[in-house]
Amino acid sequence: MQKYILFLIFVLTSSALKAQDDFFEPKSTLGGYGELHYNVSKTDGATESSKTLDFHRFIIFFSHAWTEKWSFKSELELEHNFVSGSEESGELELEQAYINYHHNDAFGFQVGIILPSAGFTNEYHEPPLFLSVERPDYAKYIIPTTWFGNGAAIYGRLDDFSYKMVVMEGLDGSEISATKGIRSARLKGYQANAQELLYNGRVNYNGINGLVVGGSFSYNDAYAGLDSTISTTLVEIHAKYDANNVIAVIEYGNILYDGKRMGFPIEKATGYYFDLGYDLGSSLKIEGRLIPWFRYTEYNTAASVVGGGSGEKANHYKKWLLGLSFKPMDEIIFKLDYGAKKNELSDKKDILFNLGAGYMF
Amino acid sequence: MKINIILLLLLFFVNIQYLPAGEIRDKTEAVVNTFAGHEATLRFQKLLINPKQKKDIEIQVRQRFFKNFVYVWKINVGDSLKGYAVLDNVYGKSMPITFLVIFDTTGKIMTTEIIKYREAYGGQIANKNWLNQFSGMGEESAFKKGVDIDAISGATISVNAITKGIKKLVLLFSYIHESIKSS
Repeated sequence: MQKYILFLIFVLTSSALKAQDDFFEPKSTLGGYGELHYNVSKTDGATESSKTLDFHRFIIFFSHAWTEKWSFKSELELEHNFVSGSEESGELELEQAYINYHHNDAFGFQVGIILPSAGFTNEYHEPPLFLSVERPDYAKYIIPTTWFGNGAAIYGRLDDFSYKMVVMEGLDGSEISATKGIRSARLKGYQANAQELLYNGRVNYNGINGLVVGGSFSYNDAYAGLDSTISTTLVEIHAKYDANNVIAVIEYGNILYDGKRMGFPIEKATGYYFDLGYDLGSSLKIEGRLIPWFRYTEYNTAASVVGGGSGEKANHYKKWLLGLSFKPMDEIIFKLDYGAKKNELSDKKDILFNLGAGYMF
Repeated sequence: MKINIILLLLLFFVNIQYLPAGEIRDKTEAVVNTFAGHEATLRFQKLLINPKQKKDIEIQVRQRFFKNFVYVWKINVGDSLKGYAVLDNVYGKSMPITFLVIFDTTGKIMTTEIIKYREAYGGQIANKNWLNQFSGMGEESAFKKGVDIDAISGATISVNAITKGIKKLVLLFSYIHESIKSS
């Protein structure tokens, strides 16, 4: 008996020494981001422009790591600074809350409220990570950022490739629309109907310095009530280059619907955007990054409709933006942009001017 | 008998729990051996950092040292000193990133490697091509993203953390060299 105890003491003390070498300590971490926006827009023919000052998003990240393998991560978001019960007047959302098991570089899993991996902005939406004041329209109408829900994911990294695969709650087929695509169909983890699950997979390649390129596939036979579903497939590709003072982003995506059996008329939504910017920071010898940039985007949430006709033009928008972003450090950004958005059917144009300030930590 | 079984189980779990410790040391020495050649001899030392030097570097780089010591392997081939391998950690978003920098005898970086990355996101900093950017850098280098280091989309925090972490070791090099060259 005694020798066991001695042996145990020996092993415990030697393990303690080893544990020191392991560097990890259990720890809770706080993080967050937020953004203040000043938006001005004037529609063709209108006598007055609309002006708003909006603290669009305030987010707290809270995480805890029990061991280096087991941790918890969450993201709580207050949108539009005030909640009074309906979405238009503000939202309080738990966008992420999951248990993470990180086995090694090649494999880990997450269970809880998670993010499907589609495009850049859905998983990485901190304001200093995109150039425009508002998130790209593409990341609203084609990929319904922030798209989150209850489910599980596996992820990992193999050499220069990384992957994530997600199974989560599906979309509400009855809320898929010509004007907003799948945006209103998100169930947001709220007693989500699990009749039909959503499957999502993404692969990225990081082998060239400054470049990330990848694509994703999402499929859900969106449940729309008894015996009715709209088969929904979102395929997108994305690439971003940030090196040699050049910042270039391109994203392109299609949503294909099949709801003919229940008389759903939309067959396809499509969109893309590209950003081109140049960092003047080092040539002007200033601390931080000063980036003039240009964006062109086009999207159509009902690009192909049964019977065709003007229905295919009513939700088709073209937009350009010219902007200037200043990042005194990676975590803080000040933004300004100016541009125009035009509807293809009405030919009506909105002139837009936006100012923004954002942070992350 | 019951107690014996419990003790054995306990031993088993205690050892499982701390297994990665050996893994870090083994992996580090494997990396150094591969880099320096198998004829190289390694001498390990836990090196306490002079508090004044530690503070000066922390202020200059704007990042704290993980501990008040670093792990150093002195690399010799025969009688001649080839360089030093230095193991340290920086915090990413919330977990330590364990990394290794191998220096020549003048303080120039020969190679850099991520020994252990623990977060779900940002692991792209372990990519060989990206880490190769540090090779050849020394005290005079900027260690600045966009100047001599490229950004990685989706790994902003890790890129900043590791860049500063490597810079700290570069600034610490002369201290390391003076402290253990003749040991």
